[in-house]
Amino acid sequence: MGTTHRVVSTAPARETGAEPIIELRDVTVAFEDQIVLEDVSFTVYPGMFVAIIGPNGAGKTTLIRTILGLVKPVKGEVRVFGKPAWTLKEERKRLGYVPQILSVDLHFPITAGEVVLMGRYARVGLIRRPSSEDVRIAREAMARVGVEGLWDKPFGKLSGGQRQRVLIARALANTPELLVLDEPTTGVDVAATQTVYSLLREFHAEGMTILVVSHDVGVVANFVDTVACVNRRLVAHGRPHEVLGSEELAQMYGCDVAYFHHGRVPHIVVEPVEREEVASD
Amino acid sequence: MIEVLTYTFMQRALVAGVLIGVVCAVIGVYVVLRGMSFIGAGIAHASFGGVALGFLLGINPVISAITFCLAVAWGIAWISRSGRIKEDTAVGIFFASTMALGILVIGLMEGYNVDLFSYLFGSILAITREDVWLTVGLSALVLTLVGLFFKELLFITFDPETAQVLGLPVNFLHFLLVTLIALTVVIALKVVGIILVSALIVTPAAAAWQLTDRFGRMMILAALFGIVSTVGGLLLSYALNTASGATIVLLSTTLFFLALFLSPKRRLAWK
Repeated sequence: MGTTHRVVSTAPARETGAEPIIELRDVTVAFEDQIVLEDVSFTVYPGMFVAIIGPNGAGKTTLIRTILGLVKPVKGEVRVFGKPAWTLKEERKRLGYVPQILSVDLHFPITAGEVVLMGRYARVGLIRRPSSEDVRIAREAMARVGVEGLWDKPFGKLSGGQRQRVLIARALANTPELLVLDEPTTGVDVAATQTVYSLLREFHAEGMTILVVSHDVGVVANFVDTVACVNRRLVAHGRPHEVLGSEELAQMYGCDVAYFHHGRVPHIVVEPVEREEVASD
Repeated sequence: MIEVLTYTFMQRALVAGVLIGVVCAVIGVYVVLRGMSFIGAGIAHASFGGVALGFLLGINPVISAITFCLAVAWGIAWISRSGRIKEDTAVGIFFASTMALGILVIGLMEGYNVDLFSYLFGSILAITREDVWLTVGLSALVLTLVGLFFKELLFITFDPETAQVLGLPVNFLHFLLVTLIALTVVIALKVVGIILVSALIVTPAAAAWQLTDRFGRMMILAALFGIVSTVGGLLLSYALNTASGATIVLLSTTLFFLALFLSPKRRLAWK
């Protein structure tokens, strides 16, 4: 080995001037002795639609959990809404979160409507009951994603695509500025995947900032405006056609870029450079 | 059989039995859905150490059991939260050590203690007037807390990660839940017995889960199964002259298997 490649990356320039909504600086995350993320620096400005891609075990979910303040990095700085991620309090009401469907028990006795209403709980406040207004907002969120008829249906009996939309509706019910989704299309068919991303594009067009972890690289490229490729390190970060064009990068870092179309490459922001230190592996 | 209802001890037992059936079942819903059965069993066995200490020191064993169960419940929660040790490992350690402590303490006492035996296996006759009031008070406390934090407990049971992301105090709620489990164990202690109390928490809720996919209905059904188990079990144990705890638990197990065979989910799975 001897050399590793570092990516010189720039975020799309149009958002410059605005305060970042997410800012990671030299973030290293480790569990026990194992380093999961290393020196990740990464900025998301309001209004961006960012996909985090990378192979299995690359640390994508850890990156999301770090941004959400669920994991504390051993090194570096994570700021969300301008505050360190693990000190977020009231700011959490500006978040929408769609967890991996696998983290949810499908045998849990609960209706789709009850799931969506949970999105209101933080705003309702401890002990207090959701009001009819909260129910109205929850129903509206379900209508927004096209599952308004499922209010009384058991969550576990829904199709994969319906479940995802119910979880997205729950995130919407919190009226988020920043929507974070972890693999929102795992276990759903192609049509439902398209539906999910079309919805996200609509939210994006309305000004919502969206961060989505995905392995559907081919699909993601058609919808997002920025792709960040993660494999322990941030391997590439840029507009889809820029990141996706660099095939050597794919081989080198194991990012699953084979699916990517070779777009026009007007300017490559992803380029291999010599590193000063010798790679540890 | 009817005249048994006029006996004061049976009236006490039935009042306590109804409350225990409801409280165990309600808490059991969370225990079953969160997969915390082992914690329930661990806390229940920890009460043995507390009860034994109570006898040794001459204080009300229920009071010492509450203290002991809460300490162990919080200890398990705290150790597993710190992340170095898995929750079931923490339970395993407390489970055995508190039992061991109880056994050691019994050895220090002179002679064989009949009362202690009734705590281990449950006895209708052991229920005093004070026990009934304690059961009423603790049951009211547990059910009130469940009612107050109903939506929060549902959220952390269904999807703790999202609850945390949205800013719910998940650590506090987790501690609240293990506290409620500890109180429930103490409430059921005298009637069902230390060894069997966790079964009365888990079984009615598990039976209810077989029959519905609604959370509210699961809780109501579980409470009904709980009442049928305790009241039916108490009357049966009197009629058959059997240990009340064992009779109650076996009755609830029978209900569970009935629910399992009648379950629409099971029929669905067989298609």
